[in-house]
Amino acid sequence: MNELVEAAAPPGANGGVPSDQGTHATLTAMDYGDPRESGDDIVLAAVDLRKRYGDVQALDGFCLTVAAGEVVGLVGHNGAGKTTFLEMVASLIRPDSGRITIDGADPMQSRGLVGICPQHIALYPSATVREHLQLFGGVNGLRRRALRREIDELAVGLRLTEIMARRVGVLSGGQQRRTQAAVALIHRPRLMLLDEPTAGADPETRQAVLDVVKGRAAEGGSVIYTTHYLPELTELQATIAVARRGRVIARGTGAKLLEQLPGQVRVRFGNDEVRMSAMDTTGALVTLLSSATAAVTEIEIRKPSLDDLYRSLAVSDDR
Amino acid sequence: MIGDALYATAVQIRHNVLLRLRDPAQIISYIFLPMALMLVFEPLYQRALDGGTLQTVTGPLILFSVFALGVVGNSVLTEREWRTWDRLRASRAPRTSLLIGKAVPVFTVLLVQQTALLVFGCAVIGLPVPRDLLHVALAVLLWGFAVLAAGTALATVVRSRGDLMLATDLGAILIGSLGGALVPVDLMPGWLQHAAPASPGYWGLALMQNAVQGDLRGMLVPALVVAGIGLALAGLATYRLSRGWGRSDLL
Ligand SMILES: Nc1ncnc2c1ncn2[C@@H]1O[C@H](COP(=O)(O)OP(=O)(O)OP(=O)(O)O)[C@@H](O)[C@H]1O
Ligand SMILES: [Mg+2]
Repeated sequence: MNELVEAAAPPGANGGVPSDQGTHATLTAMDYGDPRESGDDIVLAAVDLRKRYGDVQALDGFCLTVAAGEVVGLVGHNGAGKTTFLEMVASLIRPDSGRITIDGADPMQSRGLVGICPQHIALYPSATVREHLQLFGGVNGLRRRALRREIDELAVGLRLTEIMARRVGVLSGGQQRRTQAAVALIHRPRLMLLDEPTAGADPETRQAVLDVVKGRAAEGGSVIYTTHYLPELTELQATIAVARRGRVIARGTGAKLLEQLPGQVRVRFGNDEVRMSAMDTTGALVTLLSSATAAVTEIEIRKPSLDDLYRSLAVSDDR
Repeated sequence: MIGDALYATAVQIRHNVLLRLRDPAQIISYIFLPMALMLVFEPLYQRALDGGTLQTVTGPLILFSVFALGVVGNSVLTEREWRTWDRLRASRAPRTSLLIGKAVPVFTVLLVQQTALLVFGCAVIGLPVPRDLLHVALAVLLWGFAVLAAGTALATVVRSRGDLMLATDLGAILIGSLGGALVPVDLMPGWLQHAAPASPGYWGLALMQNAVQGDLRGMLVPALVVAGIGLALAGLATYRLSRGWGRSDLL
Protein backbone atom coordinates (compact mmCIF):
# COMPACT_ATOMS: atom_id res chain seq x y z
CA MET A 1 0.00 0.00 0.00
CA ASN A 2 1.14 3.47 -0.77
CA GLU A 3 2.70 5.46 2.03
CA LEU A 4 0.55 8.49 1.58
CA VAL A 5 -2.55 6.43 1.82
CA GLU A 6 -1.42 4.70 4.95
CA ALA A 7 -0.92 8.10 6.49
CA ALA A 8 -4.57 8.83 5.91
CA ALA A 9 -6.92 7.91 8.69
CA PRO A 10 -9.00 4.88 7.80
CA PRO A 11 -12.73 5.53 7.76
CA GLY A 12 -14.02 5.77 11.28
CA ALA A 13 -10.66 6.28 12.90
CA ASN A 14 -11.25 9.82 14.06
CA GLY A 15 -14.79 9.90 15.25
CA GLY A 16 -16.22 11.57 12.15
CA VAL A 17 -18.04 8.46 11.02
CA PRO A 18 -21.71 8.81 10.18
CA SER A 19 -24.05 7.17 12.66
CA ASP A 20 -25.42 4.81 10.03
CA GLN A 21 -22.08 3.11 9.77
CA GLY A 22 -23.65 -0.25 10.52
CA THR A 23 -25.66 -0.31 7.32
CA HIS A 24 -22.44 0.19 5.40
CA ALA A 25 -20.42 -2.48 7.08
CA THR A 26 -19.47 -4.07 3.78
CA LEU A 27 -18.07 -0.86 2.41
CA THR A 28 -16.38 0.56 5.45
CA ALA A 29 -14.67 -2.75 6.03
CA MET A 30 -13.41 -2.80 2.48
CA ASP A 31 -9.85 -2.53 1.50
CA TYR A 32 -9.78 1.07 0.43
CA GLY A 33 -6.09 0.99 -0.36
CA ASP A 34 -4.64 2.14 -3.62
CA PRO A 35 -4.78 -0.19 -6.56
CA ARG A 36 -1.36 0.83 -7.84
CA GLU A 37 2.03 -0.73 -7.63
CA SER A 38 4.40 0.93 -5.18
CA GLY A 39 6.78 1.99 -7.95
CA ASP A 40 4.09 3.96 -9.79
CA ASP A 41 4.69 7.54 -10.70
CA ILE A 42 2.36 9.57 -8.47
CA VAL A 43 0.85 12.62 -10.13
CA LEU A 44 -1.65 13.69 -7.49
CA ALA A 45 -1.49 13.14 -3.75
CA ALA A 46 -4.25 14.60 -1.61
CA VAL A 47 -4.02 13.99 2.10
CA ASP A 48 -6.64 14.57 4.78
CA LEU A 49 -8.43 17.47 3.12
CA ARG A 50 -11.05 19.29 5.13
CA LYS A 51 -13.41 22.04 4.12
CA ARG A 52 -16.33 23.43 6.01
CA TYR A 53 -19.15 25.67 4.78
CA GLY A 54 -21.22 26.81 7.74
CA ASP A 55 -22.86 23.66 9.10
CA VAL A 56 -21.75 21.51 6.19
CA GLN A 57 -18.49 19.61 6.36
CA ALA A 58 -18.04 19.37 2.60
CA LEU A 59 -14.73 17.51 2.88
CA ASP A 60 -13.92 15.56 5.99
CA GLY A 61 -10.53 13.91 5.71
CA PHE A 62 -10.55 13.34 1.96
CA CYS A 63 -7.53 11.34 0.70
CA LEU A 64 -6.71 10.26 -2.82
CA THR A 65 -3.61 9.49 -4.86
CA VAL A 66 -3.53 9.18 -8.62
CA ALA A 67 -0.74 7.69 -10.74
CA ALA A 68 0.43 8.68 -14.18
CA GLY A 69 -1.85 7.24 -16.85
CA GLU A 70 -4.45 6.23 -14.30
CA VAL A 71 -8.14 6.95 -14.77
CA VAL A 72 -9.90 7.22 -11.43
CA GLY A 73 -13.67 7.05 -11.37
CA LEU A 74 -14.74 9.21 -8.45
CA VAL A 75 -18.24 8.18 -7.52
CA GLY A 76 -20.57 8.97 -4.69
CA HIS A 77 -23.99 10.38 -4.01
CA ASN A 78 -25.00 13.96 -4.62
CA GLY A 79 -23.32 16.14 -2.04
CA ALA A 80 -20.54 13.64 -1.23
CA GLY A 81 -17.89 16.29 -1.90
CA LYS A 82 -16.63 15.29 -5.35
CA THR A 83 -16.87 18.71 -6.95
CA THR A 84 -15.45 20.42 -3.88
CA PHE A 85 -12.44 18.11 -4.08
CA LEU A 86 -11.88 18.75 -7.79
CA GLU A 87 -12.13 22.52 -7.30
CA MET A 88 -9.47 22.22 -4.64
CA VAL A 89 -7.13 20.30 -6.91
CA ALA A 90 -7.63 22.99 -9.56
CA SER A 91 -6.65 25.54 -6.88
CA LEU A 92 -10.00 27.32 -7.14
CA ILE A 93 -10.70 26.89 -3.45
CA ARG A 94 -8.40 26.27 -0.54
CA PRO A 95 -8.75 23.51 2.00
CA ASP A 96 -9.21 24.46 5.66
CA SER A 97 -6.53 21.87 6.32
CA GLY A 98 -4.79 19.01 4.57
CA ARG A 99 -2.36 18.98 1.70
CA ILE A 100 -2.42 18.52 -2.05
CA THR A 101 0.63 17.99 -4.22
CA ILE A 102 0.61 17.74 -7.98
CA ASP A 103 3.83 16.32 -9.35
CA GLY A 104 5.30 17.10 -5.97
CA ALA A 105 4.38 20.80 -6.07
CA ASP A 106 1.64 22.99 -4.68
CA PRO A 107 -1.53 23.15 -6.86
CA MET A 108 -1.10 26.91 -7.30
CA GLN A 109 2.28 26.26 -8.90
CA SER A 110 1.02 23.35 -10.98
CA ARG A 111 -1.99 24.98 -12.58
CA GLY A 112 -0.62 24.47 -16.07
CA LEU A 113 -0.53 20.70 -15.50
CA VAL A 114 -4.21 20.55 -14.65
CA GLY A 115 -7.27 20.87 -16.85
CA ILE A 116 -10.68 21.09 -15.24
CA CYS A 117 -13.98 20.41 -16.93
CA PRO A 118 -16.44 21.88 -14.44
CA GLN A 119 -19.73 20.19 -13.64
CA HIS A 120 -21.73 23.21 -14.80
CA ILE A 121 -21.25 24.79 -18.21
CA ALA A 122 -18.66 27.55 -17.90
CA LEU A 123 -18.41 29.17 -21.34
CA TYR A 124 -18.91 32.59 -22.95
CA PRO A 125 -22.30 32.57 -24.73
CA SER A 126 -21.22 35.29 -27.16
CA ALA A 127 -17.94 33.65 -28.19
CA THR A 128 -17.56 30.91 -30.78
CA VAL A 129 -16.22 27.43 -30.10
CA ARG A 130 -12.97 28.30 -31.87
CA GLU A 131 -12.57 31.50 -29.87
CA HIS A 132 -12.92 29.48 -26.67
CA LEU A 133 -10.19 27.11 -27.70
CA GLN A 134 -7.95 29.98 -28.75
CA LEU A 135 -8.51 31.78 -25.46
CA PHE A 136 -7.94 28.83 -23.16
CA GLY A 137 -5.14 27.41 -25.28
CA GLY A 138 -3.55 30.85 -25.29
CA VAL A 139 -3.76 31.58 -21.58
CA ASN A 140 -2.25 28.15 -21.02
CA GLY A 141 0.73 29.05 -23.17
CA LEU A 142 -0.08 27.41 -26.52
CA ARG A 143 0.95 29.44 -29.53
CA ARG A 144 0.28 29.45 -33.25
CA ARG A 145 1.13 26.08 -34.78
CA ALA A 146 0.89 24.11 -31.56
CA LEU A 147 -2.43 25.76 -30.76
CA ARG A 148 -3.81 25.06 -34.22
CA ARG A 149 -2.71 21.45 -34.01
CA GLU A 150 -4.44 20.91 -30.66
CA ILE A 151 -7.60 22.66 -31.86
CA ASP A 152 -7.73 20.52 -34.99
CA GLU A 153 -7.20 17.32 -33.06
CA LEU A 154 -9.89 18.06 -30.49
CA ALA A 155 -12.27 19.30 -33.16
CA VAL A 156 -12.12 15.89 -34.78
CA GLY A 157 -12.10 13.88 -31.54
CA LEU A 158 -14.98 15.75 -29.97
CA ARG A 159 -16.88 16.29 -33.22
CA LEU A 160 -16.70 20.05 -33.13
CA THR A 161 -15.63 20.63 -36.72
CA GLU A 162 -19.10 21.60 -37.90
CA ILE A 163 -19.80 23.99 -35.06
CA MET A 164 -16.39 25.64 -34.73
CA ALA A 165 -17.62 29.03 -35.95
CA ARG A 166 -20.88 29.06 -33.98
CA ARG A 167 -21.42 31.02 -30.81
CA VAL A 168 -21.76 28.85 -27.75
CA GLY A 169 -24.99 30.47 -26.56
CA VAL A 170 -26.92 28.98 -29.48
CA LEU A 171 -25.46 25.47 -29.26
CA SER A 172 -27.40 22.46 -28.01
CA GLY A 173 -26.70 21.06 -24.56
CA GLY A 174 -24.60 18.21 -25.91
CA GLN A 175 -22.62 20.52 -28.19
CA GLN A 176 -21.90 22.76 -25.23
CA ARG A 177 -20.78 19.69 -23.25
CA ARG A 178 -18.30 18.78 -25.97
CA THR A 179 -17.00 22.35 -26.11
CA GLN A 180 -16.71 22.37 -22.32
CA ALA A 181 -14.62 19.20 -22.44
CA ALA A 182 -12.46 20.52 -25.28
CA VAL A 183 -11.63 23.65 -23.29
CA ALA A 184 -10.43 21.46 -20.42
CA LEU A 185 -8.18 19.37 -22.65
CA ILE A 186 -6.85 21.95 -25.11
CA HIS A 187 -3.47 22.37 -23.41
CA ARG A 188 -2.95 18.63 -23.02
CA PRO A 189 -2.97 18.71 -19.21
CA ARG A 190 -1.16 16.01 -17.32
CA LEU A 191 -4.00 15.74 -14.83
CA MET A 192 -7.54 15.99 -16.18
CA LEU A 193 -10.38 16.70 -13.76
CA LEU A 194 -13.61 15.83 -15.50
CA ASP A 195 -16.66 16.56 -13.38
CA GLU A 196 -19.63 14.76 -14.92
CA PRO A 197 -18.47 15.66 -18.42
CA THR A 198 -21.24 13.64 -20.04
CA ALA A 199 -24.18 14.85 -17.95
CA GLY A 200 -27.16 15.21 -20.27
CA ALA A 201 -25.19 14.00 -23.27
CA ASP A 202 -26.56 11.61 -25.91
CA PRO A 203 -24.77 8.29 -26.56
CA GLU A 204 -22.76 9.77 -29.41
CA THR A 205 -21.45 12.71 -27.40
CA ARG A 206 -20.78 10.38 -24.50
CA GLN A 207 -18.76 8.05 -26.70
CA ALA A 208 -16.79 10.92 -28.22
CA VAL A 209 -15.82 12.18 -24.76
CA LEU A 210 -14.93 8.70 -23.55
CA ASP A 211 -12.79 8.01 -26.61
CA VAL A 212 -10.83 11.22 -26.20
CA VAL A 213 -10.32 10.57 -22.49
CA LYS A 214 -9.14 7.02 -23.18
CA GLY A 215 -6.72 8.36 -25.75
CA ARG A 216 -5.28 10.91 -23.36
CA ALA A 217 -4.89 8.30 -20.63
CA ALA A 218 -3.14 5.96 -23.06
CA GLU A 219 -0.62 8.75 -23.68
CA GLY A 220 0.14 8.86 -19.96
CA GLY A 221 -2.33 11.51 -18.81
CA SER A 222 -4.08 11.00 -15.49
CA VAL A 223 -7.80 11.48 -15.12
CA ILE A 224 -10.25 11.93 -12.30
CA TYR A 225 -13.66 11.30 -13.75
CA THR A 226 -16.85 11.78 -11.81
CA THR A 227 -20.07 10.33 -13.11
CA HIS A 228 -23.34 8.89 -11.95
CA TYR A 229 -23.45 6.65 -15.01
CA LEU A 230 -21.22 3.78 -14.01
CA PRO A 231 -20.84 1.83 -17.27
CA GLU A 232 -18.64 4.72 -18.38
CA LEU A 233 -16.09 3.73 -15.76
CA THR A 234 -16.01 0.18 -17.02
CA GLU A 235 -15.38 1.46 -20.51
CA LEU A 236 -12.58 3.71 -19.24
CA GLN A 237 -11.08 0.80 -17.30
CA ALA A 238 -11.03 3.16 -14.38
CA THR A 239 -10.01 2.37 -10.85
CA ILE A 240 -12.69 3.45 -8.43
CA ALA A 241 -12.79 5.84 -5.50
CA VAL A 242 -16.05 5.96 -3.62
CA ALA A 243 -16.70 9.23 -1.80
CA ARG A 244 -19.15 9.52 1.00
CA ARG A 245 -19.74 12.46 3.29
CA GLY A 246 -16.55 14.22 2.38
CA ARG A 247 -14.10 11.32 2.35
CA VAL A 248 -13.04 8.38 0.25
CA ILE A 249 -14.45 5.28 1.88
CA ALA A 250 -13.47 2.73 -0.72
CA ARG A 251 -10.68 2.67 -3.26
CA GLY A 252 -9.48 0.01 -5.64
CA THR A 253 -9.97 -1.58 -8.99
CA GLY A 254 -13.58 -2.24 -9.85
CA ALA A 255 -13.00 -6.00 -9.66
CA LYS A 256 -11.46 -5.76 -6.23
CA LEU A 257 -14.26 -3.62 -4.82
CA LEU A 258 -16.90 -5.86 -6.30
CA GLU A 259 -15.32 -8.97 -4.78
CA GLN A 260 -16.64 -7.75 -1.47
CA LEU A 261 -20.22 -7.41 -2.60
CA PRO A 262 -22.74 -10.26 -2.76
CA GLY A 263 -23.96 -11.64 -6.08
CA GLN A 264 -27.61 -12.20 -6.96
CA VAL A 265 -29.22 -15.56 -7.60
CA ARG A 266 -32.68 -15.88 -9.07
CA VAL A 267 -34.58 -19.12 -9.63
CA ARG A 268 -37.99 -19.44 -11.26
CA PHE A 269 -40.18 -22.51 -10.85
CA GLY A 270 -43.82 -22.79 -11.89
CA ASN A 271 -45.37 -19.42 -11.20
CA ASP A 272 -42.95 -18.64 -8.39
CA GLU A 273 -39.67 -16.85 -8.34
CA VAL A 274 -37.15 -16.68 -5.49
CA ARG A 275 -34.11 -14.44 -5.21
CA MET A 276 -31.19 -14.43 -2.86
CA SER A 277 -28.13 -12.28 -2.55
CA ALA A 278 -25.03 -13.97 -1.19
CA MET A 279 -21.25 -13.90 -1.31
CA ASP A 280 -21.30 -17.60 -2.13
CA THR A 281 -23.62 -17.69 -5.13
CA THR A 282 -23.13 -21.42 -5.69
CA GLY A 283 -24.25 -22.18 -2.15
CA ALA A 284 -27.19 -19.83 -2.58
CA LEU A 285 -28.20 -21.54 -5.81
CA VAL A 286 -28.14 -24.94 -4.13
CA THR A 287 -30.32 -23.61 -1.32
CA LEU A 288 -32.81 -22.07 -3.72
CA LEU A 289 -32.95 -25.17 -5.93
CA SER A 290 -33.61 -27.39 -2.97
CA SER A 291 -36.54 -25.20 -2.01
CA ALA A 292 -38.11 -25.43 -5.47
CA THR A 293 -41.58 -26.97 -5.37
CA ALA A 294 -42.04 -27.30 -9.13
CA ALA A 295 -39.91 -27.78 -12.23
CA VAL A 296 -37.23 -25.08 -12.48
CA THR A 297 -37.69 -22.97 -15.65
CA GLU A 298 -35.08 -20.28 -15.25
CA ILE A 299 -31.87 -19.70 -13.32
CA GLU A 300 -29.96 -16.44 -13.23
CA ILE A 301 -26.71 -15.79 -11.40
CA ARG A 302 -25.58 -12.19 -11.55
CA LYS A 303 -22.21 -10.97 -10.43
CA PRO A 304 -22.21 -7.69 -8.51
CA SER A 305 -21.94 -4.62 -10.74
CA LEU A 306 -20.75 -1.10 -10.07
CA ASP A 307 -24.40 -0.18 -9.80
CA ASP A 308 -24.70 -2.55 -6.87
CA LEU A 309 -21.70 -0.91 -5.31
CA TYR A 310 -23.37 2.42 -5.72
CA ARG A 311 -26.66 1.18 -4.32
CA SER A 312 -24.92 -0.24 -1.29
CA LEU A 313 -24.24 3.38 -0.38
CA ALA A 314 -28.00 3.77 -0.21
CA VAL A 315 -28.26 6.66 2.23
CA SER A 316 -28.33 10.13 0.66
CA ASP A 317 -25.44 12.47 1.22
CA ASP A 318 -27.52 15.64 1.26
CA ARG A 319 -26.31 17.72 4.12
CA MET B 1 8.42 33.58 -18.17
CA ILE B 2 7.71 37.28 -18.80
CA GLY B 3 7.11 36.45 -22.45
CA ASP B 4 4.49 33.88 -21.39
CA ALA B 5 2.79 36.35 -19.07
CA LEU B 6 2.68 39.01 -21.79
CA TYR B 7 1.33 36.51 -24.27
CA ALA B 8 -1.42 35.42 -21.85
CA THR B 9 -2.27 39.08 -21.26
CA ALA B 10 -2.50 39.73 -25.00
CA VAL B 11 -4.74 36.70 -25.53
CA GLN B 12 -7.02 37.84 -22.73
CA ILE B 13 -7.14 41.39 -24.09
CA ARG B 14 -8.09 40.18 -27.55
CA HIS B 15 -10.85 38.01 -26.13
CA ASN B 16 -12.27 40.84 -24.02
CA VAL B 17 -12.21 43.26 -26.93
CA LEU B 18 -14.29 40.73 -28.85
CA LEU B 19 -16.78 40.44 -26.02
CA ARG B 20 -17.07 44.24 -25.65
CA LEU B 21 -17.58 44.73 -29.38
CA ARG B 22 -20.38 42.18 -29.39
CA ASP B 23 -22.29 43.95 -26.64
CA PRO B 24 -21.80 47.65 -27.35
CA ALA B 25 -25.26 49.14 -26.67
CA GLN B 26 -24.58 50.35 -23.14
CA ILE B 27 -21.40 52.25 -23.90
CA ILE B 28 -22.81 53.78 -27.08
CA SER B 29 -25.72 55.19 -25.12
CA TYR B 30 -23.34 56.50 -22.46
CA ILE B 31 -21.49 58.43 -25.18
CA PHE B 32 -24.48 59.87 -27.02
CA LEU B 33 -26.80 60.62 -24.10
CA PRO B 34 -24.40 63.09 -22.45
CA MET B 35 -23.88 64.77 -25.81
CA ALA B 36 -27.62 65.32 -26.03
CA LEU B 37 -27.63 66.53 -22.45
CA MET B 38 -24.89 69.05 -23.23
CA LEU B 39 -26.95 70.48 -26.09
CA VAL B 40 -30.03 70.75 -23.90
CA PHE B 41 -28.34 72.34 -20.88
CA GLU B 42 -25.96 74.66 -22.71
CA PRO B 43 -28.29 77.72 -22.79
CA LEU B 44 -29.17 77.24 -19.12
CA TYR B 45 -25.55 77.06 -17.94
CA GLN B 46 -24.57 79.96 -20.21
CA ARG B 47 -27.14 82.16 -18.50
CA ALA B 48 -26.53 80.97 -14.95
CA LEU B 49 -22.71 80.95 -14.91
CA ASP B 50 -19.83 82.70 -16.42
CA GLY B 51 -17.66 80.05 -18.02
CA GLY B 52 -20.86 78.11 -18.63
CA THR B 53 -19.44 75.93 -21.38
CA LEU B 54 -16.95 74.38 -18.96
CA GLN B 55 -19.79 73.18 -16.71
CA THR B 56 -21.88 72.20 -19.75
CA VAL B 57 -19.18 69.81 -20.94
CA THR B 58 -17.53 68.52 -17.77
CA GLY B 59 -20.78 68.02 -15.80
CA PRO B 60 -22.33 65.39 -18.10
CA LEU B 61 -18.85 63.93 -18.70
CA ILE B 62 -18.41 63.18 -15.00
CA LEU B 63 -22.02 62.06 -14.54
CA PHE B 64 -21.93 59.61 -17.44
CA SER B 65 -18.48 58.31 -16.69
CA VAL B 66 -19.91 57.29 -13.31
CA PHE B 67 -22.79 55.62 -15.14
CA ALA B 68 -20.08 53.73 -17.05
CA LEU B 69 -19.37 51.91 -13.77
CA GLY B 70 -22.12 49.70 -15.13
CA VAL B 71 -20.08 48.85 -18.25
CA VAL B 72 -17.07 47.92 -16.14
CA GLY B 73 -19.20 46.09 -13.60
CA ASN B 74 -21.02 44.09 -16.25
CA SER B 75 -17.82 42.91 -17.85
CA VAL B 76 -16.76 41.39 -14.54
CA LEU B 77 -20.18 40.24 -13.38
CA THR B 78 -20.81 38.28 -16.57
CA GLU B 79 -17.62 36.30 -15.92
CA ARG B 80 -19.05 35.43 -12.53
CA GLU B 81 -22.42 34.51 -13.97
CA TRP B 82 -20.94 32.42 -16.75
CA ARG B 83 -18.46 30.83 -14.28
CA THR B 84 -15.71 31.60 -16.77
CA TRP B 85 -13.57 33.56 -14.34
CA ASP B 86 -12.87 30.37 -12.40
CA ARG B 87 -11.83 28.65 -15.59
CA LEU B 88 -9.37 31.42 -16.25
CA ARG B 89 -8.13 31.29 -12.66
CA ALA B 90 -7.49 27.57 -13.08
CA SER B 91 -5.29 28.25 -16.10
CA ARG B 92 -1.55 28.61 -16.10
CA ALA B 93 -1.70 32.36 -16.72
CA PRO B 94 -0.50 34.53 -13.81
CA ARG B 95 -3.41 36.24 -12.08
CA THR B 96 -1.96 39.66 -12.95
CA SER B 97 -2.09 38.74 -16.64
CA LEU B 98 -5.75 37.89 -16.29
CA LEU B 99 -6.50 41.09 -14.40
CA ILE B 100 -4.65 43.33 -16.83
CA GLY B 101 -6.14 41.53 -19.81
CA LYS B 102 -9.60 42.05 -18.35
CA ALA B 103 -8.99 45.69 -17.43
CA VAL B 104 -7.34 47.08 -20.55
CA PRO B 105 -10.33 46.83 -22.92
CA VAL B 106 -12.84 48.41 -20.50
CA PHE B 107 -10.29 51.03 -19.53
CA THR B 108 -9.96 51.88 -23.21
CA VAL B 109 -13.73 52.16 -23.44
CA LEU B 110 -13.73 54.65 -20.56
CA LEU B 111 -10.98 56.72 -22.17
CA VAL B 112 -12.80 56.71 -25.50
CA GLN B 113 -15.97 57.87 -23.79
CA GLN B 114 -14.33 60.80 -22.02
CA THR B 115 -12.28 61.80 -25.06
CA ALA B 116 -15.32 61.71 -27.31
CA LEU B 117 -17.22 63.95 -24.89
CA LEU B 118 -14.37 66.45 -24.64
CA VAL B 119 -13.97 66.57 -28.41
CA PHE B 120 -17.71 67.05 -28.80
CA GLY B 121 -17.55 69.80 -26.17
CA CYS B 122 -14.89 71.70 -28.07
CA ALA B 123 -16.30 71.13 -31.53
CA VAL B 124 -20.00 71.64 -30.87
CA ILE B 125 -20.56 73.28 -27.50
CA GLY B 126 -17.81 75.82 -27.90
CA LEU B 127 -15.47 74.84 -25.10
CA PRO B 128 -12.12 76.50 -25.80
CA VAL B 129 -9.59 73.89 -26.86
CA PRO B 130 -7.38 73.29 -23.79
CA ARG B 131 -3.91 74.71 -24.16
CA ASP B 132 -2.23 71.88 -22.35
CA LEU B 133 -3.52 68.58 -23.69
CA LEU B 134 -1.10 66.58 -21.57
CA HIS B 135 -2.84 67.71 -18.40
CA VAL B 136 -6.20 66.83 -19.85
CA ALA B 137 -4.88 63.42 -20.79
CA LEU B 138 -3.60 62.95 -17.24
CA ALA B 139 -6.98 63.91 -15.81
CA VAL B 140 -8.79 61.53 -18.17
CA LEU B 141 -6.39 58.69 -17.29
CA LEU B 142 -6.71 59.23 -13.56
CA TRP B 143 -10.48 59.58 -13.55
CA GLY B 144 -10.78 56.61 -15.91
CA PHE B 145 -8.64 54.53 -13.57
CA ALA B 146 -10.79 55.44 -10.57
CA VAL B 147 -13.97 54.50 -12.46
CA LEU B 148 -12.38 51.25 -13.62
CA ALA B 149 -11.34 50.33 -10.09
CA ALA B 150 -14.71 51.28 -8.62
CA GLY B 151 -16.70 49.37 -11.24
CA THR B 152 -14.57 46.27 -10.86
CA ALA B 153 -14.67 46.39 -7.07
CA LEU B 154 -18.42 46.83 -7.20
CA ALA B 155 -18.88 43.80 -9.44
CA THR B 156 -16.88 41.66 -7.04
CA VAL B 157 -19.06 42.47 -4.02
CA VAL B 158 -22.61 42.64 -5.41
CA ARG B 159 -24.71 39.51 -5.24
CA SER B 160 -26.74 39.97 -8.41
CA ARG B 161 -27.23 41.97 -11.57
CA GLY B 162 -30.04 43.83 -9.82
CA ASP B 163 -27.61 44.87 -7.09
CA LEU B 164 -25.15 46.12 -9.67
CA MET B 165 -27.75 48.18 -11.53
CA LEU B 166 -29.03 49.68 -8.33
CA ALA B 167 -25.52 50.55 -7.20
CA THR B 168 -24.48 52.18 -10.48
CA ASP B 169 -27.73 54.11 -11.07
CA LEU B 170 -27.97 55.33 -7.52
CA GLY B 171 -24.22 55.91 -7.35
CA ALA B 172 -24.15 57.95 -10.54
CA ILE B 173 -27.05 60.17 -9.48
CA LEU B 174 -25.74 60.64 -5.93
CA ILE B 175 -22.05 61.00 -6.76
CA GLY B 176 -22.80 63.13 -9.82
CA SER B 177 -25.31 65.50 -8.30
CA LEU B 178 -23.59 65.87 -4.93
CA GLY B 179 -20.29 66.39 -6.74
CA GLY B 180 -21.72 69.26 -8.79
CA ALA B 181 -22.09 67.52 -12.14
CA LEU B 182 -25.72 68.60 -12.54
CA VAL B 183 -26.00 71.78 -10.50
CA PRO B 184 -22.67 73.54 -9.92
CA VAL B 185 -21.58 73.34 -6.28
CA ASP B 186 -21.63 77.15 -5.98
CA LEU B 187 -25.36 77.18 -6.67
CA MET B 188 -26.24 74.42 -4.21
CA PRO B 189 -27.82 75.10 -0.80
CA GLY B 190 -25.16 75.94 1.78
CA TRP B 191 -25.33 72.68 3.73
CA LEU B 192 -24.97 70.67 0.53
CA GLN B 193 -21.93 72.70 -0.48
CA HIS B 194 -20.28 71.48 2.73
CA ALA B 195 -21.12 67.89 1.94
CA ALA B 196 -19.99 68.03 -1.70
CA PRO B 197 -16.32 67.06 -1.09
CA ALA B 198 -17.54 63.74 0.32
CA SER B 199 -18.44 62.76 -3.25
CA PRO B 200 -15.69 61.38 -5.51
CA GLY B 201 -17.54 63.17 -8.32
CA TYR B 202 -16.60 66.49 -6.73
CA TRP B 203 -12.91 65.66 -7.05
CA GLY B 204 -13.32 64.21 -10.51
CA LEU B 205 -15.06 67.35 -11.67
CA ALA B 206 -12.45 69.61 -10.06
CA LEU B 207 -9.68 67.55 -11.66
CA MET B 208 -11.26 67.74 -15.10
CA GLN B 209 -12.17 71.43 -14.93
CA ASN B 210 -8.73 72.49 -13.72
CA ALA B 211 -7.09 70.34 -16.37
CA VAL B 212 -9.21 71.84 -19.15
CA GLN B 213 -8.39 75.34 -17.86
CA GLY B 214 -4.69 74.48 -17.65
CA ASP B 215 -4.55 75.12 -13.89
CA LEU B 216 -1.82 72.68 -12.90
CA ARG B 217 -1.73 73.69 -9.23
CA GLY B 218 -5.47 73.40 -8.95
CA MET B 219 -5.21 69.83 -10.30
CA LEU B 220 -2.85 68.59 -7.61
CA VAL B 221 -5.20 67.90 -4.70
CA PRO B 222 -8.07 66.52 -6.83
CA ALA B 223 -5.55 64.32 -8.67
CA LEU B 224 -4.24 62.90 -5.40
CA VAL B 225 -7.73 62.26 -4.04
CA VAL B 226 -8.89 60.58 -7.27
CA ALA B 227 -5.72 58.47 -7.46
CA GLY B 228 -6.13 57.49 -3.80
CA ILE B 229 -9.73 56.39 -4.32
CA GLY B 230 -8.68 54.48 -7.44
CA LEU B 231 -5.81 52.69 -5.72
CA ALA B 232 -7.87 51.69 -2.68
CA LEU B 233 -10.66 50.27 -4.81
CA ALA B 234 -8.21 48.61 -7.20
CA GLY B 235 -6.68 46.86 -4.18
CA LEU B 236 -10.07 45.52 -3.12
CA ALA B 237 -10.94 44.47 -6.67
CA THR B 238 -7.63 42.68 -7.21
CA TYR B 239 -7.95 40.82 -3.93
CA ARG B 240 -11.48 39.65 -4.68
CA LEU B 241 -10.77 38.71 -8.28
CA SER B 242 -7.70 36.66 -7.41
CA ARG B 243 -9.58 34.71 -4.77
CA GLY B 244 -12.69 34.04 -6.83
CA TRP B 245 -16.11 33.57 -5.26
CA GLY B 246 -17.06 29.93 -5.12
CA ARG B 247 -20.75 29.20 -5.24
CA SER B 248 -23.33 31.89 -4.72
CA ASP B 249 -27.01 31.80 -3.84
CA LEU B 250 -27.79 34.70 -6.18
CA LEU B 251 -26.43 36.07 -9.50
N1 LIG C 1 -19.67 27.39 -1.42
C1 LIG C 1 -20.44 26.56 -0.72
N2 LIG C 1 -21.26 27.04 0.22
C2 LIG C 1 -22.03 26.21 0.94
N3 LIG C 1 -22.06 24.88 0.80
C3 LIG C 1 -21.27 24.34 -0.12
C4 LIG C 1 -20.42 25.14 -0.93
N4 LIG C 1 -19.73 24.33 -1.75
C5 LIG C 1 -20.13 23.08 -1.46
N5 LIG C 1 -21.06 23.07 -0.49
C6 LIG C 1 -21.72 21.88 0.10
O1 LIG C 1 -20.76 20.86 0.19
C7 LIG C 1 -21.34 19.59 -0.06
C8 LIG C 1 -20.55 18.87 -1.13
O2 LIG C 1 -20.84 19.47 -2.38
P1 LIG C 1 -20.21 18.96 -3.75
O3 LIG C 1 -20.69 19.86 -4.82
O4 LIG C 1 -18.76 18.80 -3.58
O5 LIG C 1 -20.89 17.55 -3.93
P2 LIG C 1 -20.79 16.52 -5.16
O6 LIG C 1 -20.28 15.25 -4.61
O7 LIG C 1 -20.08 17.15 -6.27
O8 LIG C 1 -22.34 16.34 -5.53
P3 LIG C 1 -23.05 16.10 -6.96
O9 LIG C 1 -22.94 14.66 -7.28
O10 LIG C 1 -24.45 16.49 -6.68
O11 LIG C 1 -22.39 17.01 -7.94
C9 LIG C 1 -22.79 19.85 -0.42
O12 LIG C 1 -23.58 19.62 0.72
C10 LIG C 1 -22.81 21.32 -0.79
O13 LIG C 1 -24.05 21.91 -0.50
MG1 LIG D 1 -20.58 17.67 -8.17
